[in-house]
Order: sequence, then C-alpha cells, then structure tokens
Amino acid sequence: MVCPEWNQVNKNDYRGIWVYVEHFNGKISEGSLQLIGKAKELASKLGVDVAAIMLGKDLDKLLMEPIYYGADKVIYANDDRLSIYLPHIYAASVVELANKYKPEIILFAATKRGRELAPYVANTLRSGITADCTALDVDPKTRDLDQVRPTYGGNILAHIRTPTRRPQLASVRPNVFPTPPRDESKKGELVEEKLSKLPEPRGRYLGSKSITEEDESGLPPVEKSDIVVVAGKGVNGVEGVKLLTDLAKLLNGTIGGTKKVTDAGWLPTSRQIGQTGRTIRPALYIGMGVSGAIQHVFGMNESKIIVAVNSDPNAPIFNYVDYGIVGDYKQVAEALLELLRERKKQ
Amino acid sequence: MDELTIVVPVKAAVPNITAVRLDPNTHNLVREGVPLMINPYDRNAVELALRIKDRFGGKVITISMAPPNGKDFLESTIGMGVDEGILITDRVFAGADTLATSHAIAKSIAKLYPNFSLIIMGEETTDSTTAHMPAQVASWLEIPFVYYATDAEPNIKDGTVKITRYLEDEGLLEEFIYNMPIIMSVYRNSNPPRDISLNRKIMAKVNGLVKVLTNKELGLNPDCVGLKGSPTIVAKIEDAKPLPRKKQIFQGDPKEGAKWLLENLVKEGVIR
Ligand SMILES: Cc1cc2nc3c(=O)[nH]c(=O)nc-3n(C[C@H](O)[C@H](O)[C@H](O)COP(=O)(O)OP(=O)(O)OC[C@H]3O[C@@H](n4cnc5c(N)ncnc54)[C@H](O)[C@@H]3O)c2cc1C
Repeated sequence: MVCPEWNQVNKNDYRGIWVYVEHFNGKISEGSLQLIGKAKELASKLGVDVAAIMLGKDLDKLLMEPIYYGADKVIYANDDRLSIYLPHIYAASVVELANKYKPEIILFAATKRGRELAPYVANTLRSGITADCTALDVDPKTRDLDQVRPTYGGNILAHIRTPTRRPQLASVRPNVFPTPPRDESKKGELVEEKLSKLPEPRGRYLGSKSITEEDESGLPPVEKSDIVVVAGKGVNGVEGVKLLTDLAKLLNGTIGGTKKVTDAGWLPTSRQIGQTGRTIRPALYIGMGVSGAIQHVFGMNESKIIVAVNSDPNAPIFNYVDYGIVGDYKQVAEALLELLRERKKQ
Repeated sequence: MDELTIVVPVKAAVPNITAVRLDPNTHNLVREGVPLMINPYDRNAVELALRIKDRFGGKVITISMAPPNGKDFLESTIGMGVDEGILITDRVFAGADTLATSHAIAKSIAKLYPNFSLIIMGEETTDSTTAHMPAQVASWLEIPFVYYATDAEPNIKDGTVKITRYLEDEGLLEEFIYNMPIIMSVYRNSNPPRDISLNRKIMAKVNGLVKVLTNKELGLNPDCVGLKGSPTIVAKIEDAKPLPRKKQIFQGDPKEGAKWLLENLVKEGVIR
C-alpha cells in the first residue's frame, strides 16, 4: 500500500515530541515557546518527553530557555556551518537529527522562517505536514496527531492525520496557544549533537536590512491591545478604516482588519486578524462590516467580549457575538464616537 | 550555462472556497464542475520570471497539475508572456496532498527540463495557504530553496543568482547569493503581474503551446502518487462550533444601538 520507494516506517520505533525552537539575533521566537506548552500537554497523554531542537552557533546563552518553559531536554547542534540561516542547511540538520532520534511528532511555529523550513523537513522524511493548525490533540491508542484546521466549504474543520508515517509534522501560528510560565528552577538535559551529513551550502548570505511596513495609524500592534476595533470589507475603503481608527483611538485600543481589508491595502498586513494572520485575545473585540468567516473567527474567538456591527442580520458573525447590532457600521460608529466624546468631557 | 530555463509551477485554485463540496468518503474537494482560476499569487511568480527573462533572456515555462480543463489558465500565462505550458493531468494523481502533488511536479520538471536554472513559485495559494509546495519540490530535487523573494538577478556567466527576500513578520530584507539551480517563492506583495494579452493567449491555443503530460509519459509508481501517495488523510470533518456567547442582538435606530452597546460594555467592565 505505502509507496515502496519510501523508507519503511515501524511506528513503534518513534517516540517523543519535538519542538523546533527558532531563534534570531539571540532571541527565541515566542511561537516556539508556546508550542513547548502545547507539546507538554500532548506528551503527558502519550507518556513521553518533550525535546526542544536548537540549531546555530554560540547558542550557549539560549540553551536553558526551552527547559525553563517546560521542555524536558534540548537537543542542539553548535556548528560553524549553522552560523547563518540557510533554509536547506537548517532543514537538512533537522532531518538528520530526526533520522537519528525518531520522534513521533515535530512541531514548528509558523513564522515566516518556520513555514519555509517545516515542509522541507516533512517531505525529506516522506511524511505529512499540516500548516497553520488551529488545534492539536493526540489519540493515545494510535498515537496519531490530530491536526485541526479550517477547510473548504464554509465553517468546516478538517481533522488531518498521518496514520502510516512518522514523524508527524505540524505548524501553528504564533499566539494560537498561550506562552507557558518561565521558571528558572526547572531542570532538564542538554544534549549536544554533531552533524555529519550536511549538504553543500551552494549559497552565501550577503546581509540584511530592516524595513518596517508603513503604518499610518500610529496605534499599538493588534496583539498588544486590550481593545481591538476590526474593519471588514463592509467598511468599503480607507475612509471607513479611518473612521474606525478614530474610534479605536478614543477607546485607547487599536485597529485591525480582515484579510479582505489587508489584501486591499487599506491596512498593513501586520494588522490582519485570523488563521493566516494574527491571533488576538483582547478584553473587547469590535468587528464592523466583518462577515465572520471561520478563518477570521479563529483569530479572535477567544476574545473576552465580542461585538459586531453588520447590516446583514444573517451574517455568520452574529453566531459568535456577545453583543451585536444589525445596522450600518458608519451610523453606529459615528454615534459611538459622539457618545464616547461626551463621556470624556464629563 | 548558456540560457536560462525558468519553470513556474502554478496552481488551479478554487475561486470561492465556501461554494464547493467535499467528497463524503475522502473529505477531499470535489473538483468536477468547479471553475478554475490561476492562484492569484502565482501570477506574481510568473511576473518575476518574465522580468528576469526580459533582462537576461531565456525561456519561461508554466507547469500545473490540474484537471483537463486546466489548459485554459495555462494558456492565460502564455498570454502574459510565458513560452510554453505543461498540464500534468491523470486520474491517478487525484486526491493528492501537498507531498504527492510536489512529487508529480518535481518529477515532471526533472524529466522535461533537467537543465532548469530556476524554479519560481507563488508564496502560497489563496485557497489552502499552506506554502508547502516550494520547499517540497526542493526536497524532491535536492536543491536549495528560499521563500519570499522580491527580486532575483541571475548571472549567466558564473551560474549564480542574487536573491532578495522579505520576511514580513521580522520586517527584514535579506540578500543571498546562490548557485543555480535553486527554487524560490515570491513575496506576494511584490512583482505585481502584467496583463494578459488576449492575442497571445489565442495564439497559445491555436499553436497548441500547452502540452499535456499523463502518467503514461511520467511513469511514476501509482502507489506513490495521488491519494495513495499522500501521507496525510482527512480523518474527519465537522462543523465548527461557536463558543457559548451571550448573543444579544440589537435591531433598530443606530443611535439607540450605540447607547445600548456602550451601557452593556460599561457593565461588562471592558470600557471605563
Ligand atoms: C485559506 C484561507 C485563509 C484565510 N485566512 C484569513 C485570515 O487570516 N483572516 C481573515 O480575516 N480572513 C481570512 N480568509 C478569508 C475569509 O475566508 C473571508 O473571505 C474574509 O475573512 C472575509 O472578510 P470580510 O468579513 O471583511 O468580508 P466579507 O466576507 O465580504 O464581508 C463583508 C461584510 O460586511 C457587511 N457589510 C456590508 N456593508 C456594510 C455596512 N454598510 N455596514 C455594516 N456591514 C456591512 C456585509 O453584510 C458582510 O457581512 C482566509 C481564506 C482562506 C481561503
């Protein structure tokens, strides 16, 4: 049944959960730490350990961090050839380690680098991968990883499995899972590995420069605010976004948008909320002209209070709200601005 | 290297993901009767390929694994300036996940264009957004890869290519130099695509510039392609269940609505 050209996999040889821990300029990416928390939870159901995988040069200062966040051990390679991140070299390193240790699951934070790395690792191991999972679980009997993500056809979730291959790979966007507490008293094992089979670099890093996306609002990032006003396609252009930005300012909150809004360039992509954008958990989410597509909802579902204004009484967003107003966003937003200004004066 | 050969794999994406059906057994998308469009971000990849061709010469080929009606959108890429198109189509390829799809694409490229210089792909697809394919094709062909390219400048004499790429989440522009061949994906907000010339598209149809490739020519093991060659399965699908919420809905005068809302938000303690 299984393609005879692939290596034979005996599922019982594969044990343990790995988290690929990404770091850049001496800082570990938050998304990786969050996955350690999730991995711990899955590992306890499977009765196995969580190992963090770290690659690079001069890693010493960072090595204990994954342990402080809950990993049982850190498997790392300190190698001159890893001083600069070249995607295929890093990916081949993970493959080499995976072939040696045979973990049953490898998780990646779906940062831009993580999304680049993970599919090469999965494919080279001739195994499956699911991108941007919104939930993960394990089946203790089959030890299959249940990889959940929205799929075609409206508000539908697909549960994806890799029943015949190991390891099972998945990526998860930052902030889908909470960051576990950091505890410096935690102990764990550091395992140094030497890599032998690295491919030729065939390339060189020339350098980098920082450029920041233009962001006219001057407001905080969407993940950093307790109140987020979100513009949907229904606000019909930059004028509408401007109105909602004013509202966000008055509320001491910030502005975000649906994918349709950021794709249209009405807001920078860093403000896209959803499965393929940012995940937020503010005290208050206010969506205006947002239809409530599942890919969007996954980025805001865990907000404490959800409010929506939509002119269509049947818009799906009303299934997800605490308070909804059926009506024109503009009239409601202007009325809110007026009321808030009055309140401020008092 | 005397001439650049640039291959651009493109996907026939589903224009409206909510208006499609899933197969009740495999939970895969039922493609029959679904209109096809080129994945929008693949057009940026075609554009970068054509810009390279405009400056440095060479040949640009688009290739796609799609149902038989995929010919038309490949002809559209020829309308943009591509030289020829390859449609990989065969029932044995149906139900492929990203690994099995990348397998068929990589093997087709290796067979038809063994001396390719560059493979250029879109950042991701708008209907499934995995961004798996470029790295997976690289894995099959065992060559380097770089995602999110905004520009690429090949040097035909020494066989290298300088690549600039943008990491959106870090706000970082990086530069690399690689020996060809290499695979890159194109940052979706770069290289806005040129228009399709209808004349060229018709010319493509008349001259049969899109060739069809089936597994008869490719000769891949049927157990290694399509649904069978896919390590992932969709084990089940379910309706997303909204979390319990208060669901209080106001209908009526917007000013009254705003007042009602504000009062409630103050009561909830989220507005002071
Ligand atoms: C793989 C994939 C990943 C995706 N990832 C994301 C993601 O991360 N984030 C995301 O947001 N989307 C994502 N999407 C897109 C998502 O499916 C929806 O298309 C999108 O969220 C819809 O945006 P919207 O609500 O702004 O627009 P629409 O769906 O067009 O809704 C506009 C709404 O505005 C209402 N409206 C119109 N006029 C007014 C008015 N005057 N006053 C009040 N209401 C009005 C309409 O009734 C309608 O409900 C993804 C899609 C795919 C396929």
